[in-house]
Amino acid sequence: MDNLLLGLSEFFERLPNRVLGARNFVLTGVVVITVLMLYGAITRTELDLSTDAYLDQTDPAIEALDEYRRQFGSDDSVLLIYRALDGDVFSRESLTAVQQLTDDLRNWQDLDPADYPSEISGVAVDFNELNHIRRVQSVANVRFQRNEGDTLLSLRLVPAELPESEEELTLIKTRALARDDLVGMMYSANAEYGMIMIQTDFGMQPVENYTPAVDSPDVALDASFDFSADGFLELDFDEQAEIAEVDFEPVDVFSYTTFHVASTALWEKYDDQLDYYPVGTPPTMGFMQGVLDQLAVLGVLMVLIFVILLWILFRSFSAVLWPIVTIALSVAWTWGVTVWLGITVSTFISLTVLLVFAVGIADCVHVMNAYFSYRREGEEHYRAISRSFGRTGLALLVTTLTTSAGVLALTTSELLPMQVFGFMSAAGVMLAFFFTVILLPILLDIWHPGFPGHEKLSIPDRLARIWNGLRRNRKITLVVIFAVLLYVSFGFALGAYILFISMLTYAVVNWHQQILRVVPYIVARRPWQILTVFAGIFGLCVYGATRVEIDTNISELVKEDHPLRRAYEVVDENMAGSQSMVIVIDTNVDEGMLDPPILQAVDDLQGRILETQSEHLTRTHSLVNVVKDINEVMNDGDPAFYRVPETRQMVSQLLYLFNSANPEDRRALVSDDYSKAQVTLNIRNSSTNEYQGFFDEIGEEIDASFAHLRDDYPDLEVTLTGSMALLWRMSDEISKSQVESFAIALAVISVMLIVTLGSLQGGLIAMIPNLIPAFLGFGLMGLFGIPLDTDTLLIAPVIIGIAVDDTIHFMTHYRVQLIKTGSISESLRLTIRHVGQAVMFTTMVLGLGFMLLSFSDYLGMARMGFFGSLAIIMALACDLFLIPAMIMIFKPTFGVKNADKRISFTESPA
Amino acid sequence: MIARIFALLVLAAAVFPVSAQLPDGEQLPEETQIPDETQLPDGLEIMRQVEEYQRATSDSAFNRMQLSTCRFGISENRITCAERPRVKALESVGKNYGPEGLDSRSVTIVLEPADERGIGLLSYVYDDAARQNESWIYLSALGRVKRIASGNSDEESEAASLFGSEFTTEDMDTGKLEQYEINVLEETVEGGREVWVIELIPNEERARETRYGRIVNYIDKERYVGLRSDMYDHYGNAVKRMLASRVELIDDVWMARSATMMNLVTNRLSNMAILEIYTGIDVEDEVLTQRTLTDAAFRETQLQSIRSQVE
Repeated sequence: MDNLLLGLSEFFERLPNRVLGARNFVLTGVVVITVLMLYGAITRTELDLSTDAYLDQTDPAIEALDEYRRQFGSDDSVLLIYRALDGDVFSRESLTAVQQLTDDLRNWQDLDPADYPSEISGVAVDFNELNHIRRVQSVANVRFQRNEGDTLLSLRLVPAELPESEEELTLIKTRALARDDLVGMMYSANAEYGMIMIQTDFGMQPVENYTPAVDSPDVALDASFDFSADGFLELDFDEQAEIAEVDFEPVDVFSYTTFHVASTALWEKYDDQLDYYPVGTPPTMGFMQGVLDQLAVLGVLMVLIFVILLWILFRSFSAVLWPIVTIALSVAWTWGVTVWLGITVSTFISLTVLLVFAVGIADCVHVMNAYFSYRREGEEHYRAISRSFGRTGLALLVTTLTTSAGVLALTTSELLPMQVFGFMSAAGVMLAFFFTVILLPILLDIWHPGFPGHEKLSIPDRLARIWNGLRRNRKITLVVIFAVLLYVSFGFALGAYILFISMLTYAVVNWHQQILRVVPYIVARRPWQILTVFAGIFGLCVYGATRVEIDTNISELVKEDHPLRRAYEVVDENMAGSQSMVIVIDTNVDEGMLDPPILQAVDDLQGRILETQSEHLTRTHSLVNVVKDINEVMNDGDPAFYRVPETRQMVSQLLYLFNSANPEDRRALVSDDYSKAQVTLNIRNSSTNEYQGFFDEIGEEIDASFAHLRDDYPDLEVTLTGSMALLWRMSDEISKSQVESFAIALAVISVMLIVTLGSLQGGLIAMIPNLIPAFLGFGLMGLFGIPLDTDTLLIAPVIIGIAVDDTIHFMTHYRVQLIKTGSISESLRLTIRHVGQAVMFTTMVLGLGFMLLSFSDYLGMARMGFFGSLAIIMALACDLFLIPAMIMIFKPTFGVKNADKRISFTESPA
Repeated sequence: MIARIFALLVLAAAVFPVSAQLPDGEQLPEETQIPDETQLPDGLEIMRQVEEYQRATSDSAFNRMQLSTCRFGISENRITCAERPRVKALESVGKNYGPEGLDSRSVTIVLEPADERGIGLLSYVYDDAARQNESWIYLSALGRVKRIASGNSDEESEAASLFGSEFTTEDMDTGKLEQYEINVLEETVEGGREVWVIELIPNEERARETRYGRIVNYIDKERYVGLRSDMYDHYGNAVKRMLASRVELIDDVWMARSATMMNLVTNRLSNMAILEIYTGIDVEDEVLTQRTLTDAAFRETQLQSIRSQVE
């Protein structure tokens, strides 16, 4: 084993020379393949940004949703909640504004786009997007029925021409607030809020170039459609006939956004009268677009931080350029390979890019740090390249293998995009390694510091010289001006953050060698205390991790003051709630839903759950409500008839009216053969965990309401489902698969460390410093009661993969040094000196870069940025203090025989 | 919801009875001018002609029709129902009123299914825009007639379904041709008959009211009967297709007695079959009153008398 490791180190030492020998071949190959990959990425990329991309398309939950859409139409509506600024949605001014807005939304073709802004928050306003509007309902066009003598009147709640007198207006308001079916849907009980419902056709458009099977030239109507002359028609039917199901075009995030922007332009016109709180998929996706835009800005800033830090730390622009070339090629190839394999890319691609970026930077920093330090020590260029790869190559290989193993563990997930993400990321990490060992030597040969003709000082060097020449009070003044400028231009939080980075960078740049030199002495003085402190931290993290709750609350994924969160709160507090679920009743009997006992049971169920679940549930609606409503109206509006009729014939005739008017509305409640119906539940938004009890209790109520019908309807099935249930299932699936893959990743990494480090003892010692950063995020979230949402959970393995890399570099290098020198003290000293600096630099670059993400409005992203960077910084602390302490205490020899176990850090360095 | 029911019932009155008779002084389709072979004829003229015959309702008509709806599939290259179709059988009687016969009254009775048997609809449609149309609905299970009035009849122009079928009121609409850009695309053969393929694109005003962004009609060149219509939505996707069959000469006008509307998105179809159609019958005014709805004995006697006229 020892020989293998030394052999590998020697292999990596010889590799640069071989690569440089084949320089033209390698460069030509890389260029040609890169062109091919870029061509593939540009022409063949299939990006699936749809919201249901998470699950395998053959998943029963997705099939149910598709079936639902075929039966019931698109479920993507905009619920535009508005608050009347004068406090009364029934005031003359508010009503006029809503009437006009409703008309604008319905008849947008008549509007002149010139009267509206041409763009909103950077997105162009395109009125044609409003073609997605199918129906607009508001207090301006809702109707109510009145029975006068033998006449049924259908009247507008608010007449198109508002009455002149204030008394009549007040009468309208009184009448409106007395209508239970409209309160909570169209306006709040205190008349402060109202709602405009905009139904769209999103998710209902057939895939492009869809050709109906009936278009085939050989296909013709069955002969039975030409009925016989005896005046009787019976169409033949064949249950085996092949039904060509339409596949719907997946809705991408951008079309929701452009629609949302166009509709926003319309309603903003009335914002001196109304305040808006839009909820529903299009506004939410509009928000997601905002998140993506913000992330793009943060991403640019992040790259900028990477660039500046690399530049300052290495004081050469080659240290900036070559890592970026290496990373760009890794990303391009990963992307190219994926699309050439014909795999559809999801939003996870951004995570893959992030991971490849982080791993690529770490790889390059380790190599270049070795190269630069050899050069500073006076080594000649080629020798320095060779030795730097000899020093880092083995550790790069091990980190590549462990990180790949970590992300490959995700392929055990049942979620398709996770599998793709696992494969792509593993490929990306391996490619980053490949380019680091194959291409970086050539790049460094093309341009590197100390290159003939470039011997003058670099800009950071010159700036440093000027700075050091300044007097102390000048320095302080400049720092104050810098700080003020930061606060003014970036605000307090971001300004403070940049100031913090600047100070830290300054400290590291100036004193990193001193820090690294004293570290072993500090550790040697109090190894047990250090061990105790880290053991305490680890204990706390594990304790915290056991308390962490895996929980997703849609509205809590955004910051508290964000309009989207406010909108959810307004809907939940004042209207019928921002979420919905459905109870599906399948009698499995033709026309079973016309049977009065079944309808009565549904009525009972609705009544029961409204009573017992009032905390979450605000309103229920089903076929039964319609039947009762028409029954009352047809019986002269006598409230005594607001009930399920006694006979099947009566039910059937009341529904005849309903079905004749609009089978679409009827189909939204009951299937064509009347065997299956659904109850819609309006519920307040809550976290997925809180719904757990709700799901169970509804299940019990269902059993109680239908138990007596089991004999007559043995195949009766009643189930709770809907998009909330789907989300719940998805979140459950993600947590399960993530916890599993997390465990698999830890196990695989442990085994690899044991093998690489040559002993069980060594492997375990190396695992502990890896476990602390891995558990830190979870632990802190558990301790502070921050729920772990599915988004954070998805990113956890990525962060952990990055955090453990430095530890592996440290341990691998230590073992190689131990084999070479045979002395624990000497190996430790050399390891801290050789690897310490690189580990410090990568921590600075990645830790500070990731921390920038905590400024995202999207808390899923912000949390992962914050806790991720903490984990990376904690890994550094473990490498510098915990590992030396453990080595000094346990004196592991990693299988090296006759090692010198004496500890020689008893006195502080001068 | 109920508002839409009213809107439908008012509209339905305008649609039933579907019957046809050649108006006085009109020529037979066969003898209409045959367009120059080399040049495509005027699409608007053809469509006007088609509608003329389609609209040619008699003063007094009686018909029995059947609406079958099912989910469809393809079996051995035949479009067929994939489940037992739901069938509604209807009988309707209509008569024109007013000095120029521009007003009309009609009564429609549901015969099947059994649960809906006896449901009746009486409609008075007035040509004078100032006068509101009137409708009465009778639910046999309830045993009562209700007059239905829409507070504002101007609105709710959304297309409603005909008796829950795939046919909408919009599909039955006639007129409004001036609101379309009409192009004759080609001359070809459909179902063994020579046809003109005529495209109708709604103008901006019409586009607001219709669900279709384009309709392509296949018109029999000899008989002026629509044999097929393809309906596209505003995005250019084919959404519905109507196929006509059993084209027969009835009282000197060619008409399709079986019309099948396929919804290509939901894979459902409805077939409207005119099982019996008689025109020029003597209909007593009393038939077109509420009495026909409520008085089953009276209704049977009257219908019997009408049947005896046609047999």
